[in-house]
Amino acid sequence: MNAPRSANALRRAIDNPPPVVGVGTESSVTGLDRRSVGFADVLAQSVSAVAPSAAATTVPIMVAVAAGSASVWAIAAAMLLCAVVASTVNQFTRRLAAAGSLYTFVAKGLGTTASSVTGVAMIIGYGVIAMFALTGAGLYLSFLLDQFAPEVAASGLVVPICILATGALCFFVLARGIRLSTRVTMLVESVSVVLIVVLVVALLAVQPAGIDGNLLNPTALLSGTVSIGDFAAGAMLAITAFVGFESSAALGVEARRPFAAIPRAVLWTVMGAGLLYLLSTYSQLVGFETLGRDIGSSTSPVNELASAYGIEWVGILLDASIATSFFACAIASTTALTRVLFSMGREGLLPNSLGHASATNRTPIVAIAAVLPVLVGVPIWLIATGGSVWFAMGILIVGAASGYVVAYILLCIAAPVFLWRIGELTLWPAIKAAVGAAGLTAVLVAFLISEGATAQGGAMWAFLVLMVVGSAGILVLRTRRPWLHQTIGMHDETVLADVLGGDRQPEPL
Amino acid sequence: MSEGDLSARQPKAIHSALTVLEEVARSGAGVTAREVSDNLGLPRATAYRLLNLLVQDEYLVRMPDLRGFALGRKVVQLAGLVTPQPPPRAARDLIEDLRERTRGGVHLVRYDSDRMRLVDPDPDFPLSDESRILRQLESSALGRLLLAESGRASPAVTVSIRTLGYATQFGELVPARGCIAVPIRDSRGILVAGLGLSGPVERVRDPGRLLDELLRSGRDLGPLLV
Repeated sequence: MNAPRSANALRRAIDNPPPVVGVGTESSVTGLDRRSVGFADVLAQSVSAVAPSAAATTVPIMVAVAAGSASVWAIAAAMLLCAVVASTVNQFTRRLAAAGSLYTFVAKGLGTTASSVTGVAMIIGYGVIAMFALTGAGLYLSFLLDQFAPEVAASGLVVPICILATGALCFFVLARGIRLSTRVTMLVESVSVVLIVVLVVALLAVQPAGIDGNLLNPTALLSGTVSIGDFAAGAMLAITAFVGFESSAALGVEARRPFAAIPRAVLWTVMGAGLLYLLSTYSQLVGFETLGRDIGSSTSPVNELASAYGIEWVGILLDASIATSFFACAIASTTALTRVLFSMGREGLLPNSLGHASATNRTPIVAIAAVLPVLVGVPIWLIATGGSVWFAMGILIVGAASGYVVAYILLCIAAPVFLWRIGELTLWPAIKAAVGAAGLTAVLVAFLISEGATAQGGAMWAFLVLMVVGSAGILVLRTRRPWLHQTIGMHDETVLADVLGGDRQPEPL
Repeated sequence: MSEGDLSARQPKAIHSALTVLEEVARSGAGVTAREVSDNLGLPRATAYRLLNLLVQDEYLVRMPDLRGFALGRKVVQLAGLVTPQPPPRAARDLIEDLRERTRGGVHLVRYDSDRMRLVDPDPDFPLSDESRILRQLESSALGRLLLAESGRASPAVTVSIRTLGYATQFGELVPARGCIAVPIRDSRGILVAGLGLSGPVERVRDPGRLLDELLRSGRDLGPLLV
């Protein structure tokens, strides 16, 4: 590298900042509380969207049913894949701040058509995961209620009423403002993660035998005891435990130092959640093996383990922690969902009123009011028609994960194109994006092939139909409004106040 | 993480980062990552990583097209690292001339948004406590000028500067010595620099004809410094 030329230019620029042409005084996403949220709040957004404690107690059993003795490996594979995707998401989060997250990012790489498809996938993903979380919160609230007032909890109406109450609380928190939302979620999620770790440690501590090497032995996978299809189905279900890690990207406008805070939050979330899942899955599998029981036959494995090992008190704490974790997840997913709708409203793709931010609380209040009734209504309808809460949740989680995975695949394709467009494409990011896109597609296809005939497979088909209908609708809208080409992909541009000497420059005409 | 993050933590990275900042300043707003990498002869991956780190820390900002870069507002904080540029010849001549006719120290400072930098201190009459003067703006007349401009001075000081058109300080840094500071403004009236006169309190309190000369020099220096 050359020796620095005398530091004249920098000195001159500091003394007399030259005018900067092409930077406005206001960002296109003005209205949100720009540059107001610190790193902890940004991290809290991603962590709560993932809901690690709820996932750590519910996903291992789902994975174990599919992947059997290769469960730990399926989760490790999902973690690796999500880390690659996170790193690809960060190619964008390091370079632009946006409220629309993946939807905006894909627009920057692949243009407005792919971006519209991503937008539909994300609306489904965020929306359905919020429904899933509201249902989960309602279910675990009803478990808690059962401990204290069993006669009330016996009624079939309890879960729907709990869902309704949780939804109302979500509305209040979301409407009050982004700081309150992220702080509440952070508190709730930290408490529940601590509870889970305590439980896992307690479970491992009461194990008679030490570490069981069999569960970590990859031979089950290599010898063909576990088929590739089962392994992929396990990995797909494990991915459902990670989805949402990118959601802090939706706070690009509101984060104080977005280009530092968001990439860090996205990657840390995947790593932290992954370690928690590995630990929790391993301890649950060991626990069931020691008991000589099959984890797949359990309905609430952690509770059963807790009582089998004589630590029932953990069960109540656990129900409370899972309910709070689901509540945090509902808030975080709805936050991300409303930011996407807000962006689409601003761009003119959806009704303008969705892009309206409340003047007092600076939140996208119309978008919040529009989605919450749907988020509460659909799960209640599913429970009413499907008959069981678990049935509804099993359907919802697969639908949500499919939405995320499709959006992640499109993002991985968009990243190298975006980097090439701005002249910053290098080898490693391209390789990571290719691995991410190929890996996710393989898992998605393998899941469809192996589970296509089951109810969960049906959820994915329903998702695909929704995708096609939604994308077609948006494409029709786009042909009617050709000017959308100019507005889709709106991000939070640098404004004069961010630029050296911006406060001394005349306003542009 | 990649090996790149490791090298970015090495001391050489600071040198590289300043070189990149310097290059963006030299090329002007809108310079692309590829141009920076070509102009500096840096490997692409290294240049892109440095640029993104500087964007992360907000020393650089991306232009709305996302391809180009410009210096961020935070660069002002580097002012302490970068030696101030000496004032142009005509300005130095004017100050020299004033010094020859004055028995006392004549000092020139520049103002950034919230700090003051000494650009041309009087070599014959050194400042009493340079670091304190630059740190505690309320202690000197030159500092008070900046505080009053940004609305951070005490009401008494602000009123005095408004009525007199200049700032004063008597015996607060060193007993029996004081200072007068006149503002230097650019064509839009923004305070860019200050011209200070220090000396015994009695001379500073009653400067007579010297005050007019100081005020006139302040007006003449405006166009020379911008």
